[in-house]
Amino acid sequence: MYGELIVATNVLLPLIMGLACLGLTGRGIRRAIIAIMAASLIASSLLLFYSGGFVYSPNYLVEMSALILGFCLVAYFLYVGFRIKNVLVIGLTLLQILLVAYFEYSAIGVSVEPALMVDNLSIFMSLIVNIVGSMICVYALSYMDEHEEILQLSRSRQPRFFFFLLLFLGAMNGLIYSNNILWLAFFWEVTTLCCYELIRHDRTKEAEKNAAVALWMNLTGGVALSASLFVSYYAIGSIALNELLMAGAAPILLLSFAFMALAAFTKSAQFPFHGWLLGAMVAPTPVSALLHASTMVNAGVYLILRIAPAIKDTHLTWAVVLVGAFTFMLTAVLAISQRGSKRILAYSTISNLGLIILCAGLNTPLAYSAALILLLFHAISKGLLFMGAGVVENRLHSQNIESWEGLLGRFPLTAIIMIVGMISMFLPPFGMLLGKWAALEVIASSPPSIVFLLIIFMVIGSATTTLFWARWLGRLIILPVKETKLRAEKLHPPYLLSLLSLLSLDLFISVGAAFFISNLVNPTVGGGYSVQIGAPLFSINTTIGSFPVLLFWLAVGVIFIAGFAVAKSKGGVVKPPFLGGENVEGNPSAFRTMADTEAEFQVSVMSFDSIGEGRLNKYALVGGTLLLALLFLMVMF
Amino acid sequence: MDIMNKARVKSPWVLHFNCGSCNGCDIEILAALAPRFDVERFGIINIGNPKQADVLLVTGPANRRNFRVLKNLYDQMPETKVVIVVGSCGSTGGVFYNCPNVLGGVDKVVPVDVYVPGCAARPEQIIDGFILGLQKLAEKGKKKVEGR
Amino acid sequence: MPDPVLSYALPVLLLAAFPFIGGLLRGIDRKITAHMQSRIGPPVLQPFYDVIKLWGKKPFITSQFQPVLAFGYLGFSLMAAAILVFRLDLLLLLFTVATADVCLVAASFNSKSPYSHIGGMRELLSVLSYEPVMIMSIISIYFATRSFLVGGIFSLAYPLLLLLPGVFVAMGFVLIVEMKKSPFDISASMHAHQEIVRGVFTEFSGYTMAMVELGHWVKMMLILSIMAYFWAPNLLIGVGLALLLFFVSLVVDNIYPRLTWQRMLKTTWTFGFTLILANLVALFLLGGV
Ligand code: SF4
Repeated sequence: MYGELIVATNVLLPLIMGLACLGLTGRGIRRAIIAIMAASLIASSLLLFYSGGFVYSPNYLVEMSALILGFCLVAYFLYVGFRIKNVLVIGLTLLQILLVAYFEYSAIGVSVEPALMVDNLSIFMSLIVNIVGSMICVYALSYMDEHEEILQLSRSRQPRFFFFLLLFLGAMNGLIYSNNILWLAFFWEVTTLCCYELIRHDRTKEAEKNAAVALWMNLTGGVALSASLFVSYYAIGSIALNELLMAGAAPILLLSFAFMALAAFTKSAQFPFHGWLLGAMVAPTPVSALLHASTMVNAGVYLILRIAPAIKDTHLTWAVVLVGAFTFMLTAVLAISQRGSKRILAYSTISNLGLIILCAGLNTPLAYSAALILLLFHAISKGLLFMGAGVVENRLHSQNIESWEGLLGRFPLTAIIMIVGMISMFLPPFGMLLGKWAALEVIASSPPSIVFLLIIFMVIGSATTTLFWARWLGRLIILPVKETKLRAEKLHPPYLLSLLSLLSLDLFISVGAAFFISNLVNPTVGGGYSVQIGAPLFSINTTIGSFPVLLFWLAVGVIFIAGFAVAKSKGGVVKPPFLGGENVEGNPSAFRTMADTEAEFQVSVMSFDSIGEGRLNKYALVGGTLLLALLFLMVMF
Repeated sequence: MDIMNKARVKSPWVLHFNCGSCNGCDIEILAALAPRFDVERFGIINIGNPKQADVLLVTGPANRRNFRVLKNLYDQMPETKVVIVVGSCGSTGGVFYNCPNVLGGVDKVVPVDVYVPGCAARPEQIIDGFILGLQKLAEKGKKKVEGR
Repeated sequence: MPDPVLSYALPVLLLAAFPFIGGLLRGIDRKITAHMQSRIGPPVLQPFYDVIKLWGKKPFITSQFQPVLAFGYLGFSLMAAAILVFRLDLLLLLFTVATADVCLVAASFNSKSPYSHIGGMRELLSVLSYEPVMIMSIISIYFATRSFLVGGIFSLAYPLLLLLPGVFVAMGFVLIVEMKKSPFDISASMHAHQEIVRGVFTEFSGYTMAMVELGHWVKMMLILSIMAYFWAPNLLIGVGLALLLFFVSLVVDNIYPRLTWQRMLKTTWTFGFTLILANLVALFLLGGV
């Protein structure tokens, strides 16, 4: 009963509400629908967290209808493939149909008990998906209004947008509850569909093109998942994920896991599949937020985390590690050459996912928990950052971070939210650093055969991460002398609600990290876990290190309070910058040049064009492809 | 506050500004900074930045082209500060006196504390000028304390 | 039960002494440098005069956030030092140092000043060049001690230097970058640079500059102390070693010209990585762990 309730609210209700959005196009009604949906999703995921996992098998009818829906979906993909005349899409879809049809034919009546199984990992994921996801939906209410105002659409396309947005959340929930791999593959394809439709939402040429890329790359993942289904059925005669995971590590099963890992890499945009996530930036910002923070990319990570225990001590796991490590490093380097706000965020996402996958692949209890910590905090911070970036984009009509100059003076509230978001990505004592701390420990204690490579990847990746965040942060806090009195700007209520609640969530969880890790992460990791909480709420200790979280926060607080006290007591006159004495009275960003004429000047970020995409992308593609080959090679050993 | 004043005298950081001199005095100033005379003995550093400087060291006469720059640099120096003019042309206009573009001595634009005469002024003289300047710096510092 | 004097009073004293010793070292640095250039140089206490004078100047700021961030630089540097003397986690120390750096850079980006922007960007590049080497050094220390806690170094029966000589030398690069000495003084130095005035320090004045200067001393002391820990069984020898490296960095400062950031990055990364990796490989091969 309780399981049915959860499944109904988390999987079916989004679909129904989405359809309602399609039907009832009024703005007020839509707001009400989203509000109800967000509240119920959050409530049900919290309920799920408090009451623990369950198993649930829907009756035969549901299974049949899911199957039919699945075929409809694939047929739709085929139609899309012909419409956009994309051979890859057509080919992959046909392959998919062939695989599934043959499977259904040869394995008639195979059923899985239970079809849905919710364990701690699913609960963990569901908290992220639902809480962050619903905040993004709320945020989208304001964003899409502004977006359509800017585009000056004659007819609102919002109903469609919100339909897919909600469907996306539902499918994601379904995906993380599924135990039947066939169901998993079905929900997997639904997320692909939503992703495709949302990316091409604006119907521009670029959007269509990038959506097609996203489609074929994710279809590759879908095919890989079907292949894995196939292999698993022939190896153990079952398509239940839990049985597959228990079945041991025979080479043929490893093949199945390798296919799953491949599928995960496509969804998580690891090399060489990073292209689609970057292209997805053309979509309205809530889509990016959803893809990056709560749904799409997390699906891939989820799958890796799911299969990680099963591939422990196999060679396969090292291939996974290498893919993650390589992606982590190279995307961080790529990010420093970027100037588009959303592109930097996208690279940072891919990079962090790489780190998560690296940790998952390392496959020790500590590594596993590092992966979970990173996943949790990354979702919150990245959601916040994308949402903030979207607000800024709608105001500046530009994605170039050059134009973010002096945001603190112009839009203080948004700027502060962005600044906290950025800091939470790369500075202690926020959660991401906690994860990185654990990751460093894990990497240092990995086996000697791989440790040097990993260390090099890791140090370069983390140093460049600091660089690109700090560089961007610097843009925001430029304060020309004129604007020294900051006054918060006005934001729409949905903006305020979503931004502030995610911000406070981020702070809250980071401050209470020890508590959340012991109550949320530790149960998810399960047995053989080595991270202990020193004193409740206080610090996190491993066997080789310790991170006194609360003490750290306290110290940070003391430093800033003391800093403000010093600044208050000493005060100071605000003076324009030093410009060789050629300042212009009353205009801090101009200087006097030849013949005493005034010239405006700009301060720009350093560009690092020489190590940009043009140069590194080929390494990314080649390296990624080689590592994928390695992935399948490892199966044979 | 005695310590503060002592520190002030012991650590004069210099902003050197060439206001259109013939470069003769500038070379002498550099000579004063270089090993032979080594004014860093007294904690004097050429800091090149008005915001951190205590001594504005000017060579050359004030002229219409750059008096504004001179004024600006002076304004960007936080108190306590002194202005030392090196060379005759900076003090009065010197050889440039009555030139069409020249306003005259530096004191036409900013208040000057010490004049170091000479065309060019020798490093020893410049050091002497510094000693006088530092005395004035100390006086200013004291006044600031009493003025509170 | 550890002795309370040893575990609390001594570290606190040490922490309080950090800025003073740092300032003294800066004074010695200037004296030695002067002598190398056949000058007499300022008195050894000169850095203290400078800081006291700066504190007493009329405050000019670029915005009300600048002093807070400048204090953050000092505060986080001190915090990193505290992490070291209280023997906490080395990785934590690294993160704290990075935070201090970001505070400095943020403060320099705070005004719209071209000079301090270039300086800030170059400061970030210096961070980029030393941070990987520092992380690798910390991981190497972990390989030797099997712990990320500073205490692990002390529980080792023999000096770290015998196991990790390469890492010690690599840390020398970190020291030079942190001290903003030639050839790695791209972001700022004691004197004015031709093209960037005072680089990242340009827009600080008066008490903000004083705080940044203090922070700089603390950070220098931090690296030197880590180097001293390479001979933990007898810290006197360790201090001697650190001072030796300090002297070497002064010599290097005086004989090398400034590098561009690309070459700086190449130099620190190639030398740092090679030294550390060679050291670690040797360590594994010899089974020293
Ligand atoms: S005083 Fe004489 S030597 Fe000095 S700058 Fe003027 S003209 Fe040149």
